[in-house]
Amino acid sequence: MTLQLPDHRSQHWKDALPGLLEQEPSTAVELDCGDWNLNCTDLQQLLQILDGMGCRLRWLCSRRPKTVVSAAAMGLNVHPVEKMEQPSPRSEDQDGLLVHRGTLRSGDHLQCDGDVLIYGDVNPGARVSAGGDVMVWGRLRGTAHAGCFGSTKAKIVALHLRPVQLRISNAVARGPEDQPLDGLTEQARLDQGVIVIEPAETRSIR
Amino acid sequence: MSTTRTILICSGKGGVGKTTTTANLGISLARSGASTVVLDADFGLRNLDLLLGLENRIVYTAQEVLAETCRLEQALVKHKQEPNLSLLPAGNPRMLEWLTPKDMQAIVALLEERFDYVLIDCPAGIEDGFKNAAAAAREALVITTPEVAAVRDADRVIGLLNTQGISPVQLVLNRVRPKMMSSQEMLSVDDVTDILALPLLGLVFEDEQVIVSTNRGEPLTLSDGGSPAARAYSNIAGRLQGEDIPLMDPAKLRRGLRAKMRELMQTKIF
Repeated sequence: MTLQLPDHRSQHWKDALPGLLEQEPSTAVELDCGDWNLNCTDLQQLLQILDGMGCRLRWLCSRRPKTVVSAAAMGLNVHPVEKMEQPSPRSEDQDGLLVHRGTLRSGDHLQCDGDVLIYGDVNPGARVSAGGDVMVWGRLRGTAHAGCFGSTKAKIVALHLRPVQLRISNAVARGPEDQPLDGLTEQARLDQGVIVIEPAETRSIR
Repeated sequence: MSTTRTILICSGKGGVGKTTTTANLGISLARSGASTVVLDADFGLRNLDLLLGLENRIVYTAQEVLAETCRLEQALVKHKQEPNLSLLPAGNPRMLEWLTPKDMQAIVALLEERFDYVLIDCPAGIEDGFKNAAAAAREALVITTPEVAAVRDADRVIGLLNTQGISPVQLVLNRVRPKMMSSQEMLSVDDVTDILALPLLGLVFEDEQVIVSTNRGEPLTLSDGGSPAARAYSNIAGRLQGEDIPLMDPAKLRRGLRAKMRELMQTKIF
């Protein structure tokens, strides 16, 4: 059976893969990478995970040209998915910036290694974690974690910043209780180890 | 290509009115002349037959139909007063393990051959029962109440429905208390639609008659009575069929009462 990497909204593929492999009885694995944009480094890590579980990759397929090209460059057995019927995927990874279109709903957990831009709301109960900045072009009412690998320079910016909880690097803060002014874009950053919320700097988006 | 509309009725949280909505919508749709079947996918704790007053008529379930120990016509239970409406329990409450998404698709495919509307009453939760029930649905109605927990669970369910490609997903806001809404003790309609961002198919006001009718096994929409919930459910059924019926406004309902009082005062009968 072909293993299917999870959707961006539910889990990072690196976390999901060991569980998927445990359920797979065969050691020769067929892998559907779905919408994930994987470069050569990612694929190397993927092969390491497979190796660690005593598995071997038979072939992989992907909807992403970038993944197909990287895999082909590494000499892996790869083919594009036939049904390319989804022309505008929800999440698009470009040069370390993951752009996610659509609202994250309760229970969703969007994870990425670089910066993330969400073109929609983050509802209560949903989570975003990014290695870099979290930017929300909408309302942030869930939980956001910027700099989840330890970067203290990471920021959280939202058009409407009323999160349940904010985390930057290792710092944790509860969201403010009062409602923000309409039309005031705010950002959260680390100031001497404490998370502060202030009007967004126009230069904050790099 | 069948024109049957297969609609999942779900909520995530329990006790918000999935089964009540299924029963009342089923009756309303059937009364308008559409052949309708309600499929009780919550067969571990099956209640839909109680609400429709059909408990004592169930002999077979979809399980026997798929095992080919009976024909579909034998398993379908026709409603006493409303012959356009049939009920099919998905399974036996004591055999929970048997249903898989594939079974569900097979049952629904059989039903779609002969009905205009297939309403699937979904169990609470988002585990296997939900996944099975959702496997064959094309559209969904998400039922929620103006409570934080119900809205949160509905949000989760909507996310899951979206990943399954079920569309359109529409919202029914149940158990609305206009008084508590206007005094801001309860989430307002805007608060709910703001988070869930779904088209609102209808509002149902809190109504004691629902409890009475539930216990009697006679859905409110069965009679032409003017109880607020009965009107709300038949409006929802109308909107489902494409009729343009304006939504009830909780604020207007209150103003309406006050205006009536003012009129009474002005008639100077005292």
